[in-house]
Amino acid sequence: MRWEVFKQDAPGRPHQAVGSVHGADAEHALLNARHVFGRRPSAVSVWVVPADRVFSRTAEELEAEAGRGDGTAAPAPAGAARRLFHVFRKASHRRSMTFADHVLDVEAADHASALAEALARASGEPALAWWVVAADDVARSDPADAPSWWEPARDKTYRQQSYYGTVAPQRAREAGR
Amino acid sequence: MSPEADVSRAEDERLARFEARIAAGEKIEPGDWMPDEYRRQLIRMISQHAHSEVVGMLPEGAWITRAPSLRRKLILIAKVQDEGGHGQYLYHAAETLGITREEMEAALLEGRAKYSSVFNYPTLTWADVGMIGWLVDGAAIKNQTMLAQCSYGPYSRAMVRICSEETFHHKQGKEMVLAYAHGTPAQRRMAQDALDRWWWPAVMMLGPHDSDSPNTPLLVRWGIKTKTNDQVRQEFIDEHAPELLEAGLRIPDPDLRYDEETGHWVHGPIDWDEFWRVVKGDGPCNAERMAVRRKAHADGAWVREALAAYAARQEREAARAPVEA
Repeated sequence: MRWEVFKQDAPGRPHQAVGSVHGADAEHALLNARHVFGRRPSAVSVWVVPADRVFSRTAEELEAEAGRGDGTAAPAPAGAARRLFHVFRKASHRRSMTFADHVLDVEAADHASALAEALARASGEPALAWWVVAADDVARSDPADAPSWWEPARDKTYRQQSYYGTVAPQRAREAGR
Repeated sequence: MSPEADVSRAEDERLARFEARIAAGEKIEPGDWMPDEYRRQLIRMISQHAHSEVVGMLPEGAWITRAPSLRRKLILIAKVQDEGGHGQYLYHAAETLGITREEMEAALLEGRAKYSSVFNYPTLTWADVGMIGWLVDGAAIKNQTMLAQCSYGPYSRAMVRICSEETFHHKQGKEMVLAYAHGTPAQRRMAQDALDRWWWPAVMMLGPHDSDSPNTPLLVRWGIKTKTNDQVRQEFIDEHAPELLEAGLRIPDPDLRYDEETGHWVHGPIDWDEFWRVVKGDGPCNAERMAVRRKAHADGAWVREALAAYAARQEREAARAPVEA
């Protein structure tokens, strides 16, 4: 089973879509997400969501739907229970290692109405792609695990290129010539 | 106008809009329209790239138990672990195009998939670990920096992440080779021997000459690649040849020379017969690499089965549990 992974780099920063992992269940997916995306000191939390529970629309798809008149704003059935949704947006074509950022939370009856609400609120802001996930579909890393999950990466300085001196040995060789 | 002509005109318009988006520097994302051939070429390239990362763990992994110091062992473990992670990023990027990880894995294990020719050469001494970092990762970074500009969003993002991690692989290799190059006579001989064996495989791993890569013009037009194999190879040689010579090493190409006029290094003829032999399965280690991969996959079967059984039991128990009031 495939799970989308959202990583948070620092407290107060948004969770960002970084890729996916496979996992038999949520716990397995979280562990794999930690191993695959947490090898560098830039993570404080991950979320995982079953890939087939992510509601996704690109700007091109939204335009095509609007053109056909079957946009995402179709009203939910009256009296449907409202749930909390996380909305993620990709805002630029700039070179990046992350996809969509968590930009807002919306209470709505379903994914499509949550996106319609987000579109209404974001009028004018650049948006190239949107992802919507129900908050109760998200499995989250446990803050109590943070010291063992994220902090060891900080001490592994040999993973940084700045750790390696390649100029000094060359100078030493030249000096010895 | 006939309905067929209408369909064909609509297709042409979609293709024109797609190519205009790429020309404008936009990224194509999953969900966007793309030509079937764009999807097919990306699946081919990304899955081969993913397999290369996974098989690429083997030549260096073989030296983890024999690293000469704890420092070198930690560095090598971290590097090999990164390569495994890079394979994961790339399988993910390919999965966004509609192929499954299981299909790709089966293609590799059944010998239907290609991966980088360079990983079918043996690592005979510890100096090979340094030379692989400097040359093989050096060549890979040139290619991956180019692919980070790719028009397909998921592939581009995987490449940006990989490049930021690869720089340490390159640096640790260069540091190690430089240490050997100005070390004892025995260390200098090891460094030279490693260069003698890895120079040409590294030059070849950037792929056939442009005149023998029929896909290249289309790949460049669709922004999948932004440079040709020969352009990337030239960048690799221009950076590495002077640094290797500076280190006091001899490059095993009698025709290699610096061209004052163009500012580029000119290399001698490449043995493409060897390249194709290795790509098509007849390199020094192809059979061994595949045997190790298959054994690792078979040895892990019980873990996958246990995980699936545990997940199924959790689900059954959750379904049976009384709903909380």
